[in-house]
Amino acid sequence: MNKKNLTVFLTCALFSFISLGVVNADSVKIGFNVPLTGFAAADGKSALNGAKLAVEQANQAGGINGKMIELVVYDDQASPKQAVPIANKLIEKDNVKAAISGSYSGSTRAAAGVFQAAGIPYISAYAVHPDITRAGNYVFRTSFMGEVQGRAGAKLVGATLQRKRVVLITLKNDFGKSLAAGFKEAAGQFNVQVVNEYEYSIKDRQFGPIVAKVKADNPEAIYATGYFFTAGPLVSQLRAAGITAPVIGQEGYDSAQFIKIAGKASEGTIITTSLDRDSTSSETRSFIKEFEAMAGHKVDMVAASGHTAMKVLVAAMKKAGTTNPAAIRDAIAETSLVASTGTISFNSLGEVQKNVQVQVVRGGNFHYHSEIRDQTLLAPPTR
Amino acid sequence: MLFVELLVQGLLQGSIYGLIAVGLTLVYGLLRILHVAHAGLFTLGGYICVILTNQTGSFLLAVLASMLLVGITGMLIYRICYQPILDQPPFVPLIASIGLFIAMEELFRIFFGAYGLSFTELPLQEPLPFLQVSLKQAEWLTMLMSVGFVAILAFLANRTKLGLAWKATVTDPEIASSFGVDIIQVRYLNFFIGSSLAAASGCMMAVLNNLVEPTMGSVPSYKMLAIIVLGGLGNVRGTLIAAILLGIIESYGTIYLDDLLDRDSIAFVFLIIALMIRPQGLFQRT
Amino acid sequence: MMAYEISLLIVMGISITAGLSLNLITGFCGQISLGHAAFMGIGAYTSALMTKNGLPFFPSLAAGMLTAGIAGIFVGLCSLRVRHDFLAITTMGVGFLFLGIVRQQDALGGEMGISGIPDPGLGRIGFLLFVMGCAALVVYLSLYMKRSWLGFAFDAVADDEDTAGMLGLDVTQFKLIAFAIGTSLAGLAGGLYAHNIRFIDPDSFGFVESITVLSMVVIGGIGSVWGVVIASAVLSVLPLWFQFIEDYKLLVYGLLLFSVMRFSPGGLSALCFNIFSFFRKKLT
Repeated sequence: MNKKNLTVFLTCALFSFISLGVVNADSVKIGFNVPLTGFAAADGKSALNGAKLAVEQANQAGGINGKMIELVVYDDQASPKQAVPIANKLIEKDNVKAAISGSYSGSTRAAAGVFQAAGIPYISAYAVHPDITRAGNYVFRTSFMGEVQGRAGAKLVGATLQRKRVVLITLKNDFGKSLAAGFKEAAGQFNVQVVNEYEYSIKDRQFGPIVAKVKADNPEAIYATGYFFTAGPLVSQLRAAGITAPVIGQEGYDSAQFIKIAGKASEGTIITTSLDRDSTSSETRSFIKEFEAMAGHKVDMVAASGHTAMKVLVAAMKKAGTTNPAAIRDAIAETSLVASTGTISFNSLGEVQKNVQVQVVRGGNFHYHSEIRDQTLLAPPTR
Repeated sequence: MLFVELLVQGLLQGSIYGLIAVGLTLVYGLLRILHVAHAGLFTLGGYICVILTNQTGSFLLAVLASMLLVGITGMLIYRICYQPILDQPPFVPLIASIGLFIAMEELFRIFFGAYGLSFTELPLQEPLPFLQVSLKQAEWLTMLMSVGFVAILAFLANRTKLGLAWKATVTDPEIASSFGVDIIQVRYLNFFIGSSLAAASGCMMAVLNNLVEPTMGSVPSYKMLAIIVLGGLGNVRGTLIAAILLGIIESYGTIYLDDLLDRDSIAFVFLIIALMIRPQGLFQRT
Repeated sequence: MMAYEISLLIVMGISITAGLSLNLITGFCGQISLGHAAFMGIGAYTSALMTKNGLPFFPSLAAGMLTAGIAGIFVGLCSLRVRHDFLAITTMGVGFLFLGIVRQQDALGGEMGISGIPDPGLGRIGFLLFVMGCAALVVYLSLYMKRSWLGFAFDAVADDEDTAGMLGLDVTQFKLIAFAIGTSLAGLAGGLYAHNIRFIDPDSFGFVESITVLSMVVIGGIGSVWGVVIASAVLSVLPLWFQFIEDYKLLVYGLLLFSVMRFSPGGLSALCFNIFSFFRKKLT
């Protein structure tokens, strides 16, 4: 009997715990799900800082039509399992008018379905999974789809750098796979021949066997997908083995940490990304300056993406003039705005269309290399 | 040539696995604990090494200090965490150890940041060619260390009084204690040596990658378990051989079995096949 | 509408199903498994692929249970060769093998996973009731088995295989039964998970998930049905409740796992039992 009583007691305690929630009337709430603990915490913190900066800037400028913005942040540990209850909590308990994902693909994709069903606009800041925006018309993305950036990579290698024989080193997750798919799709168009493709897991830091094989392949360029924590060791191991072919990376490399890890080996690495460090745009310059002052470390792509997503959302909410989610959605769809990561506008699927920035590592910093403006090549899918 | 290079890379990977797994198998051999937090000590070793090298400028000093400090931490973990639950069924220390490992990973993140740390001046980077094989000093040192430590352990176990006491305790603690061996002392020593080997492995990993990060123990946390099982649970020499075998299989597998399976699955297919043929592991317990 | 409470209760219900399914194997029959998430994954992938291809929800769920159960019998056969820690590591290997296969198969969505899994069409409350119904059935089944002769046989196998064998129990058969029931219930939990989150990828069924399920069983008190029910329910939503301690969330989670094992190795059920007997002693 005692055991049963305890069960009843615990269940009651549990319910009272669930229904905690605070409501504040004088503000507009924006939801933000982001990994702050666990393996993805580094990117999560950066994205959150970027978004916080955008909120601060907007509030200093008078908020949204007189109301201050309140950012409601939940840690989803980049897990789809937790993202679904968090999305429900943001919608129902916190009553957010719109939300942003500062998280990876799995949790973003899972939460997108919930926001779509509830009719709350949701913007993915930097998750790459192609199916995210396919959740429905309330879901948008302010960063490149993997495929689009992969195609840009192919043009960079074939047309800009004039290299023909390429080896792919692909990170085995949705990010690396979709980049590689885009690259291979456009490779023929630029006479790029993919000699070989090797895959590695996100947990790998030792690439000895792959490096040995790439050395034997002797390619003219290496298209290696990855994040700064895999790319740093990879690039330094490639250079240590005496491979001199240029390494082409993507926005996953886009962090000062990459240069710190790879050291001198990082010199000359070229990446496709959305943040131009040498930009003449006042928007980008002021973002970089203010972010570095606020966060105390160098800016990266994820921070810029968090900032951009928030900026797009705030602008749309101002324009909509109400907190009606449907009106906000329509305003987001019509966005045309200069942000730190370029000029943002959405196609019918909610995918962003903007130019790809090419950066090169020189003197221990990312610098302008070129820009890819080919609108047909960079067109994201519309369905 | 590629064949040889892949073999060398496999040996190198195997040596890294070996260093950490040998430490674990020492602990297992004596206490039968699946000590997952060993991977947390590996990470701790890496962190101490990077921080001290950056502070003092001496890599050697940092490695020695790291081994000493982590060895002491290992003894503390034994005293505080495991000793009270030694008589429990094996999954109790296992889950306790996993909880401890998660907590350690998070502590590294909270104290040292999610981005991880790198050396300001990366040591041991000069290439040293030897018989057509060109590896960095750090890579040679890693291989030397794993073989060297196992040799030292074998020497200690067979030639010193303490070693004999240790061996006797592993074989049969009751008989050993009736012959006057202080079992508690042997256990502490065991945790000290095992943990400092994990630290050595963490130091070498830090130099090879120029990166220590909170999650750097996540792969070793399960792969080392597979290796000590293959090595015959508690068999030091068997563990080193199993680690090197696994490194070589992974090395060739990453290149030639890439389309079928990923690196982890290749390792575990090998493990499952080996265990189906030899349920006690590839090598007998000593 | 209480969408948030409903979503939490669904998560709890699925966890209870998963926790109890492992409890049948590890708790009742003493066969430790570090790869249980793989069977959830098999159930999830089977049922998700079927409903995505237009098949109705219930038969797909059943098919998921069936494939997971078949895989379970196969792994059970392998497990007959190895014992104790060797078995633990073998099942861990099975988990990684499952991941490796799924990652490499484009037909299974590969790294991209399967998204756009259709709604089961029961409504949120309907789905909640169904999940709770499943969990209740599994609880009932567990309690029933514990009391039946099958439960005693399992106990005997868990205590000492050799003695059980000498007593004339067909140890092989009982182990296989435990694996078959346990893994097909894991398949059920996986199928429910897939249709709740409506997006699955290999990482959702990885080593971490296996460990999570095992810790639910061990924290609850290995073999104790109600202990596992409570531990599964609480541990599954703990990260969500812990939002307010922000940075220290996982740290506290890890320390909690450790402390329960360190200070109450029998899990929550032993802890409760000790507390009650302490008070009873005081009263009398």
